[in-house]
Amino acid sequence: MTRVRRDPRADRRAAQIASLDRPRFDLAGRAADGGPGRPRRNPRTEFAALRVTGAARPRFDRQHRGEGAVAQVVSAASTPNVIVVDAPAFLVAVVPDAPGGRLTQHDRQLFGAARTLAGAHGAVAALVAGEIEGLGAIGADRVAALASTQNYAPDVTAAALASAFAALSPRHLLFPETPDGGDLARRLALLTGEPLFPDVEQLSATSVSRAARGKRVAQRAAPARLMTLGADVVAPYSGPAREGRSEPLPTAEVSAPAITDARRIPADPATTPLTVADFVVSAGNGVTDIEAFRRLAEALGATPGASRVLCDAGLMPRASQVGASGSVLTATCYLALGVAGAPQHLQGVAGCEHVVAVNTDLHAAMIERAGLAIVQDAQLVMPALIAALESERAS
Amino acid sequence: MKIVVLLSAGAHPVSSAPVLPRLEAQALRLALALGETTGLHAGPSAAPAADALGHGLGLLTHLATREGDDPIPALVAALKAETPDLVLAGRRGQGGEETGLAPYAVAAALGVTIVADAVALAPGAAPGSLVVEQALPKGARRRLVVRLPALVTVHPGAPAPGAYAYGVARRGRVDTIWGVAGSAAEPNPIAVEERPYRPRPKLMRSAPGTGSAAERLAAATGGMASSGANVLVQPTPDEAARAILEHLRRIGVLAPAVANKPAA
Repeated sequence: MTRVRRDPRADRRAAQIASLDRPRFDLAGRAADGGPGRPRRNPRTEFAALRVTGAARPRFDRQHRGEGAVAQVVSAASTPNVIVVDAPAFLVAVVPDAPGGRLTQHDRQLFGAARTLAGAHGAVAALVAGEIEGLGAIGADRVAALASTQNYAPDVTAAALASAFAALSPRHLLFPETPDGGDLARRLALLTGEPLFPDVEQLSATSVSRAARGKRVAQRAAPARLMTLGADVVAPYSGPAREGRSEPLPTAEVSAPAITDARRIPADPATTPLTVADFVVSAGNGVTDIEAFRRLAEALGATPGASRVLCDAGLMPRASQVGASGSVLTATCYLALGVAGAPQHLQGVAGCEHVVAVNTDLHAAMIERAGLAIVQDAQLVMPALIAALESERAS
Repeated sequence: MKIVVLLSAGAHPVSSAPVLPRLEAQALRLALALGETTGLHAGPSAAPAADALGHGLGLLTHLATREGDDPIPALVAALKAETPDLVLAGRRGQGGEETGLAPYAVAAALGVTIVADAVALAPGAAPGSLVVEQALPKGARRRLVVRLPALVTVHPGAPAPGAYAYGVARRGRVDTIWGVAGSAAEPNPIAVEERPYRPRPKLMRSAPGTGSAAERLAAATGGMASSGANVLVQPTPDEAARAILEHLRRIGVLAPAVANKPAA
């Protein structure tokens, strides 16, 4: 039982790799023929593989959450994948306000809430009068068309809703807590005898809560069948688009409406307070011709606002100041003429959906905030805007 | 025109003391400008609603009910007997459940039209009709012509209540009669659990629910808008004006042009 004698010189010679310049040896046995030993790592290729594709600046997914892989699939396929719910276990119905066929932010939040309540097995159904586009993209699996009334007739709409409620028998029916939505919800509660849980302040799949007795107590319950949802309670649905398949509804018999005439009177921009105005046009330090600015505001039908500089100079009334120490806006659109965009001013504009900026400075904060930015002197753009509006009116 | 204003015993928003809700004082001002007005209150005590006498109400009918009774049957029975042309109420109670269902329940029981959120009332051109101006969001209004009888609820945007005067309050009269005994107020059909109110943080509107921390921060601070922004550098003023008007029309804040003629 003697050990085989090793010749260290012969071993070393066997481990030699063919090389031209100097003798090289593969002593760890990592030769290409798959010998034992640790595999070699190339840290540079591993780090490059962590890079998330699609991002503008380099980002690395060091925790291996698979973001890079997901981004690659989306960019490669680039086809919108639509989620289809074929046989839902139950329906969660939503009645958006959609004034003038345009969905509001509150309506979108309503679909977010409905998706929370529907979970994985339910479907979200939108009950709408008239044509509204893009319901699938904001989270509607089904779209049921109510008989549309030309005039404002909430009693007729509520009767149509009651028949739709009986036909679809949704597990929940959600309204926005707005003047029109809240009115319809209460009418429907009386028509169907279903209890209403109004003005929900917190919503999850298993519980809802609301304030009562002058905001002294919070009432908490399981989600009711009829609910109205307050503004800014639930985030809008942000997942992939839904099918938005149209769902047939039986036609309801129409009674004679008690309201014989209805006419919408648009808000008077001259008297509307800045905080509730829908469209605000505002002047900053780049505007010197206040008279032209006022004519432009009148021609656009917008409420005039101003930056702190103009109010301090006495060129505009203090009540028209926009910003942290003035009015905080809730407008749909904000047109800033010659406003640089101080942080205090931008706080007042934070709630605006669309911002249009005209400024000579390309690097102004307001240009960065705007959806449409025009690098030009506001003093030149104002008369051009007035002339364009006047020529449209004349033709 | 015979008008009845429904008055309730509200709780003061700060002290919780029983008071006449501001909305009902506003309703009273609208009613007094329109015609002959009486007040109607159902509840154990008339004291809070009697504040309305100081705002110019001549007669308050108090339907005495037991503590904890549902006031709706008493109100409906009294209104059926009186048959007013117009009933006014606040859009929400103050200090109670605050569901805003009571006016709808009264209107349904009486079988009259209900119109919500009025800020101005005027007699209509045709006899037996009423012009109601409704408050809509963003300062807009809607003018309706309603056939009477009707029940109208009042919006906080209505004219401020008239001043309270002690002498006027002394001259007013309160008639107390027994109201129709309703059943005890039904317990809330939805099983609720009550706890002290805690204000909740408002949702950040622009922040998306998903995405990385950097993306959410950029969206919340409005930095995201610049990435997809449409920046025109040194256009001619006419080009700029056309771009602005086109953008305003696309987002729907400006009415579309009547004729599609190239601007300027």
